[in-house]
Amino acid sequence: MVKRVERIKYAQLDRIGVLVEKGELTPPAALASIRKSSESLIPPTATNPGSPLEKALAQLDGLVGLTEVKQLVHEIKAFIEIQQKRAREGLANEPLALHQIFKGNPGTGKTTVARILGVIFKELGVLSKGHLVEVERADLVGEYIGHTAQKTREQIRKALGGILFVDEAYSLARGGEKDFGKESIDCLVKAMEDHRDDLILILAGYREEMEYFLQANPGLRSRFPIRIDFPDYSLEELLEIAQVFLAERDYYLTPGAREELARQLLVTQSLRHSGNARLVRNIIERAMRRQAVRLSTQPNPSRDQLMAIERVDLEGGVAA
Amino acid sequence: MRDCLIVGKTHAGKTLFVLNFAQYLGLDNVDLIFKYPNGLIEKKTYSIAKARRELVGPIPHTTRALQTVSIDLPVGKGVKRCFLTDTSGLIDHIHSDVEVRRAIAQTLGAIREADLILHLVDAAAVGVSDAPTALGEVDYQVAQIAQMRGGYAILANKMDLPGAVSGLAKLKLELPGHRLFPISALYKRGFREVKSYVQHLLC
Ligand SMILES: Nc1nc2c(ncn2[C@@H]2O[C@H](COP(=O)(O)OP(=O)(O)OP(=O)(O)O)[C@@H](O)[C@H]2O)c(=O)[nH]1
Ligand SMILES: [Mg+2]
Repeated sequence: MVKRVERIKYAQLDRIGVLVEKGELTPPAALASIRKSSESLIPPTATNPGSPLEKALAQLDGLVGLTEVKQLVHEIKAFIEIQQKRAREGLANEPLALHQIFKGNPGTGKTTVARILGVIFKELGVLSKGHLVEVERADLVGEYIGHTAQKTREQIRKALGGILFVDEAYSLARGGEKDFGKESIDCLVKAMEDHRDDLILILAGYREEMEYFLQANPGLRSRFPIRIDFPDYSLEELLEIAQVFLAERDYYLTPGAREELARQLLVTQSLRHSGNARLVRNIIERAMRRQAVRLSTQPNPSRDQLMAIERVDLEGGVAA
Repeated sequence: MRDCLIVGKTHAGKTLFVLNFAQYLGLDNVDLIFKYPNGLIEKKTYSIAKARRELVGPIPHTTRALQTVSIDLPVGKGVKRCFLTDTSGLIDHIHSDVEVRRAIAQTLGAIREADLILHLVDAAAVGVSDAPTALGEVDYQVAQIAQMRGGYAILANKMDLPGAVSGLAKLKLELPGHRLFPISALYKRGFREVKSYVQHLLC
C-alpha cells in the first residue's frame, strides 16, 4: 500500500527534519542529503520500500508518542546485532532473554508494538516466523485437571517461531493456589525453557496489576528482563492520532470539530484508562458515519464537504 | 499529477504568487487548507483581498504552514482540479527561532514528496548579493532536487522592481538549463505562460 511507503519515507526524512529543527543542519545541507538518500535508497516514486526490517522500524517510528518504547526497541535491536557480531568473534555471548512485560492501559499501543517487534525479531534472525499469537486467560486456562496444560500447550505450539502475547496476564494469578491459572503459568515457564531459541513471551496488562503479579511470582521476575511502560496518550497525542487516522482516509477535522473532539477527550481523560487510542478511533469512525448521513441529503456534495468532519458530526457522541 | 508545490527563499513572494495566481484563474474567494508543522490541519475561507492582507508578509518567515488552495484548470472541454501548495520560505543558514526551523523542516518534507515544483526567486534581489533573498545555496539545492521530478520551473519574481532585469540575466547564468518564467506576482505578469506550463504538466 502506498501509505506504508510514505511512512517509510517520512521516517527517513524525520531524521533529517529533526536535525533541521534542532538547528544542527542548514536547509541546503538537508536538501543535499535528501537528494542523496533518494538517489541511493528510495527513488521518489518508490517501488522498493526497503527491507522488512526497515519497514518495521519505520512503522514503529511512525507511531504517535511512545518515545521510550521506541528507544528501547532500538536498544534491543542494537544489542542483538552486537551480540551476533560478538558471537562471530568468539567473544562471551550473553544469552538473549527477550521475554517482556508490557505495562499500560488498554489502547496504548501494546499489541501494535508487539506485532512490529515480531517482524523485527524475525528479520534479526531471533525468531523463525515472527508472527504474533494473542491470547488471554480463557485461551489458556481449562476447567478440569489436565485441561489447562493441554490448552496452554496448544497456544504455545501455535506461537512457536513467534511471539505469544498474553493479555491481562495478571489474571492468571487470580484465584490463588488452587486456581488452574497457576498451572498455566508453570506451563508457560517450561515452554520458555524448552523453546528458548524460538519463542518470545510477552505478558501484558494494567500497570498496577502487572506489578502486583510480578511481586507475587518472584520466579517470573528474572525471566522477564525487559519491562516496557506504555503511558497513556496525552491530549495532544490523541488529537494527532485522530488527525493521522483521518488524513490516511482523506478526511480532516474542521477547527470546530477539533475543538469538540478535544473537549470530549478532556472529559474522558479524567476517567481512568481513557488515554486511549481505541477510544479516539471509535469516536472518529462514528463521526465519519454521521458525516455520511449528514451529506446523504445533499445532491452534490463538494470534494471539500466530502473530506470535512464538522463539529456536528462529533456532537452528542457519548464518549466513555 | 495534480499537486504543485511552491517553494523558494523566504520573502521571494510565494504567498502573493499563489493568491494572485488563483485570482488570475478566476477565484475571488479561496478555501485554504493549513497544515501546520505540529500536525494540525484546518481550513479557512478568505476573499483574495483579505488573504493578501493577512498572509502576505512585510517581513520574512510569514508563512509557517503548508497552505493549499484548489484550482480548476480548463482541460479540453472540462476542467481539472489541481492543488497549489504554498510553503514556509527557505534560508541558507540555521535560524535561531525553533518555530521557523520546524516550519522549514516541514517544507523540506514537502519538497521530498512533490512531483511538480515551482521555485520562486526574487529576481530583483539576485543582483544584490547580500540581500537575504538573493540567490543562495539553498536555491541551487532546490534546483538539483527538483529537476529529478515530474516537473520543475523557476519563476523569476518581482520583475516590476528595478534591478530585476539584470537579476534575471544572472539567474540564467547561475541556474542554467531549467525552464524559467519571469513574472511579477504583484502585477500578475507572466501568468499566462505559467498557467499553460502547469496545465500542460498537470494533465
Ligand atoms: N514589487 C513586488 N513585490 C512583491 C512581488 N511579489 C511579492 N512581493 C512582496 O514581497 C514580500 C514578500 O511576499 P510573500 O508573498 O509574503 O513572500 P513569501 O515568499 O511567501 O515569504 P515567507 O512566507 O515569509 O517565506 C511582500 O511584501 C510582497 O508584497 C512582486 O512581484 N513585486
Ligand atoms: Mg509566504
